[in-house]
Amino acid sequence: MQSAFSPRLMLRLLFQPNIVFKELAELEPSSIAVFFKVALWFGVLPPLFAYIGASKFGWRLGTVEPLSLQKEILLSISVAYFIALLFGFISAAIVSRWMANTYGARQSLGIHFAMITVVGAPIAVGSIVHLYPNVFINVLVLIPALLWSMYLLYRGLPIVLHTTPERGMLMSSSLIGYLLVAFVSLLGITVFLWINGIGPLMGV
Amino acid sequence: MPDPAKKLSVEIYSDRVVTTLVMFSVIWAVIGMLAGVYVAAEMVWPALNFDQSWLSFGRLRTFHTNVVIFGFGVSALMGTAYYSVQRTSHVRLYASNLAWFTCWAWQIAILAGGISLLMGLTTSKEYAELEWPFDIAITLVWVCFAIVFFGTIAKRRIKQIYISNWFYGGLIIVIAMLHIVNNLALPVTLTKSYSLYAGAQDAIVQWWYGHNAVGFLLTGGFLGMMYYFLPKQAERPIWSYKLSIVAFWAFTYSYIWAGPHHLHFNAIPEWVQNLGMVMSLVLLAPSWASMVNGIMTVSSAWEKLRSDPSLKFIVLALAFYGLATFEGPMLAIKSVNIISHFTEWTIGHVHSGALGWNAMITYGTFYFLVPRLVGGNLYSVRLANIHFWLALAGTILYIVALWGAGVSQGVLWLSLDDLGELRYSFTEVMAAMKPYYLLRLVAGILFFIGTLLMIYNFFKTIVGRRTIAVRPPIESLAVA
Repeated sequence: MQSAFSPRLMLRLLFQPNIVFKELAELEPSSIAVFFKVALWFGVLPPLFAYIGASKFGWRLGTVEPLSLQKEILLSISVAYFIALLFGFISAAIVSRWMANTYGARQSLGIHFAMITVVGAPIAVGSIVHLYPNVFINVLVLIPALLWSMYLLYRGLPIVLHTTPERGMLMSSSLIGYLLVAFVSLLGITVFLWINGIGPLMGV
Repeated sequence: MPDPAKKLSVEIYSDRVVTTLVMFSVIWAVIGMLAGVYVAAEMVWPALNFDQSWLSFGRLRTFHTNVVIFGFGVSALMGTAYYSVQRTSHVRLYASNLAWFTCWAWQIAILAGGISLLMGLTTSKEYAELEWPFDIAITLVWVCFAIVFFGTIAKRRIKQIYISNWFYGGLIIVIAMLHIVNNLALPVTLTKSYSLYAGAQDAIVQWWYGHNAVGFLLTGGFLGMMYYFLPKQAERPIWSYKLSIVAFWAFTYSYIWAGPHHLHFNAIPEWVQNLGMVMSLVLLAPSWASMVNGIMTVSSAWEKLRSDPSLKFIVLALAFYGLATFEGPMLAIKSVNIISHFTEWTIGHVHSGALGWNAMITYGTFYFLVPRLVGGNLYSVRLANIHFWLALAGTILYIVALWGAGVSQGVLWLSLDDLGELRYSFTEVMAAMKPYYLLRLVAGILFFIGTLLMIYNFFKTIVGRRTIAVRPPIESLAVA
């Protein structure tokens, strides 16, 4: 029986990644379905956790005193975080489909949405650590999540997108390049917003 | 007049000097990275300097950067330049004895220079710390390097000068210019000199040098390596030759202006800072042009990945090159730089380039080159694959740890309390960095273990073998 692309499938990804990859390889999900049924909800998690954590406890950057922000500023930062994640997600899927042509992979946009959702899932779930807003603890939890994401990308991409392992390896590495750039852009945009008054009070 | 056919029949490429330079490069990698790991440990446990001045952070860190950049990096560039210029010109090195001189003199300069840094002799200019006698020695070796390289090009049997030679040539000319201008100084004793420049001028000249050393040595030189070895390994011509030429000239023109972004919000004219920022942003285009060219070249040769571990390193090197050349212009934007400057973010950025790009592309090239130089197979492909994953994990961990450290540091330094006073003391901020420093140490150790595996792999590959003799192709006679 064919299973649909669902949150349940994502949960099974945690325990049986290889079986899930094979099932995904048979699916032709629509982008809209992937986006509204699964990806959107995963995307909500990090900003939601960050908002709750920061408003309840304040961020600790390794010092005794936590850094507290006004509720309104926190809300605008969380919304900006959500929009940035959505932009990153959609752009990564589009870039992935664009690359598919070069690496002889499947062309339907839906399956690329699904693949990027799979790759992003460990980080989205790992973002539960935002509830404990200590930067180092966050780094400590998110690094293994990031490595798990990379494993899923390298392992799953050739199976799900129907390409050879070698071409899959090349495509995964190219996508890593894009995702690293997207992540560092997120850092850059964040810092830019801080300097322009959306964020902690700073002497600049 | 000598018969050209007879001359060609006895002519062989000067490859022994290449093998020697590659071996020295690998040895310097181990020494330099070990020093890096040690200073990373000192950041966590400062007592590790054991109150020995030569083991102190200030001296050992300088030793680390110099040995890695000039020992590991330049030896690799020199070796690969000698290898590729012969093959793209179909002719033996011009003045191959002089090439041997550059090889040994360079190693002696790095060894003696490294010791002088540990003794505390320094000009205090970053990446140009060596005192004036070394600067003169380096100039001399560099001029000989130029004579060998351009002499070989001058007597080439191929009309076209291949793109890798443009990048290597750019490296030789620009580094000579930067090195001489920045190191102009008045010696007062054998071990002490004073720069000819003062104040803000000194800073501008220094960062004109510093940033273009990154540009023409760590970027341009290694792009030369990429443009020769990647198509060679992929057994495909470069994806777009035209794009590579455009990228070279655009790169050369725009890089030279970018230095002042190291001096944002300092006592240099505002317009100089703004110019540096704008030219840094422009730089993204030619940098990424070369990345696209490399990635598209390898994309069509994917089946080579089955047998060749070295291509993996090169592919990943291009991904990190993409990251580093994007992050650089981004950090040059003044409103990002105000947070990132002087923080660990900069160190993380440097290492996404140094580990992710420079070391990875060199490792990929060496895994290709070493077995071919000695006419054998790589001792263990499995070890090379393990090295690949260690290098990838080490680099990612390093970058992410220092992103966390740098952004936190930037915010903590600038945070104000309700009274408008600085909220955190310097000591508090330093204490907050400790966990990240520990992570960075782990990252460094992972990367270092990978390098040790490589040196063992190379040792087993070349032991009992000699550099094989390779002749220029006989068809070159037609154009000779």
